Amino acid sequence: MEIKSSDEQMFRQVYEDVFPVVMKVAYHVTYNIDVAEDICQEAFIRFYDKDMEFASEDDAKYWLIRVTKNLAINHVKRKMREQGMIDKIKKMPAPGSYKDGGDELVLKETQALVREAVEKLPEKFRSVIVLKEYADMDYKQIGKVLQISESNVKVRVHRARKMMESMLDREEVNVP
Amino acid sequence: MCLDDQILNTYLDGELAEPWKTQVEEHLSYCPACKARYEQLKKLHEVIAGAVLTDEEIAPHQAKVLSFIEHNYLNKKRKISFFHRKLRVGIPTIITAAAAFVVVFIGAFVLFGTSGDQTAEIIPGMSMNVDSANIMQVRASDNIAASRTLDSYSLEEILKYLDGKGYDVDVRLKGITPLDPTSAVGQPQSEPVSDEPVL
Ligand SMILES: [Zn+2]
Repeated sequence: MEIKSSDEQMFRQVYEDVFPVVMKVAYHVTYNIDVAEDICQEAFIRFYDKDMEFASEDDAKYWLIRVTKNLAINHVKRKMREQGMIDKIKKMPAPGSYKDGGDELVLKETQALVREAVEKLPEKFRSVIVLKEYADMDYKQIGKVLQISESNVKVRVHRARKMMESMLDREEVNVP
Repeated sequence: MCLDDQILNTYLDGELAEPWKTQVEEHLSYCPACKARYEQLKKLHEVIAGAVLTDEEIAPHQAKVLSFIEHNYLNKKRKISFFHRKLRVGIPTIITAAAAFVVVFIGAFVLFGTSGDQTAEIIPGMSMNVDSANIMQVRASDNIAASRTLDSYSLEEILKYLDGKGYDVDVRLKGITPLDPTSAVGQPQSEPVSDEPVL
């Protein structure tokens, strides 16, 4: 279905379908729920305001994801400049053992550690891992959104996972 | 030859093309070491993906943003707002006027008046002289929208943003005669020339 972004009914449709994934991208790049909300709001306002046409809802979705990801990355970069890297390093998660596995608390803690690890990934790896793991996109779509080649995506996904693995190993997260 | 992590990750993501895919499957069927590594990578992927923001976490934000957009955009569009009409007339003129200075004058209640008295004087829609106290540089750090630097926004975008936030925005041109009065219906407090310093 062709999408006209300023058509109210279509806007609502796209919003309903795409907001969750856009919010995931914004959140997993910034790890700040309020900032993520602001970013999504900005992305959808631009979408509505620019009065654009898309061949399909997927195209509209990729446009929104790209804008959101850019806003989120810019936010992160600015914040890093502002606070410097020192706080970042101080903010290492408390060590703990999560090897027992199973209950709700452990799950929450594992989740928190994963989120912290993603947050530590350098930008170009963070972007691919967020789009891969949280926006559920394939290499081709990720390549389009990030404007890099598919094989570049492939390599980055692999490297990002490798970094994640070593960070999570250090935190003794149970990845048996 | 055994499989490396790169191949396994690609296979895991369902992105490995033939004939490699079949070869990998074959290898995994008889090599316990690679099979074990594959399971490990799969688990890693699941653990990472499992940390995703949940629907319950998303829902309140989805509702909140929608109501903001409904209030400020969807519902507004029905009545042709005075603001947008004026904007459409005004902007091309600004763009073509090479020497035009643009002062974005923000008069609103939320504001940057430092004292209560001062703020009380700033009533939306009321004519005021432009002076440095009411001219506010819109800083990039004020909002997410400005993750780009302010320079990369068009004037129209800035005005729309401010309008969306509920500011009463008046655009004035310095050293330019007023817009054609027939097109600038009801242009408020038109003071085409201001001697005040401009941002
Ligand atoms: Zn093997």
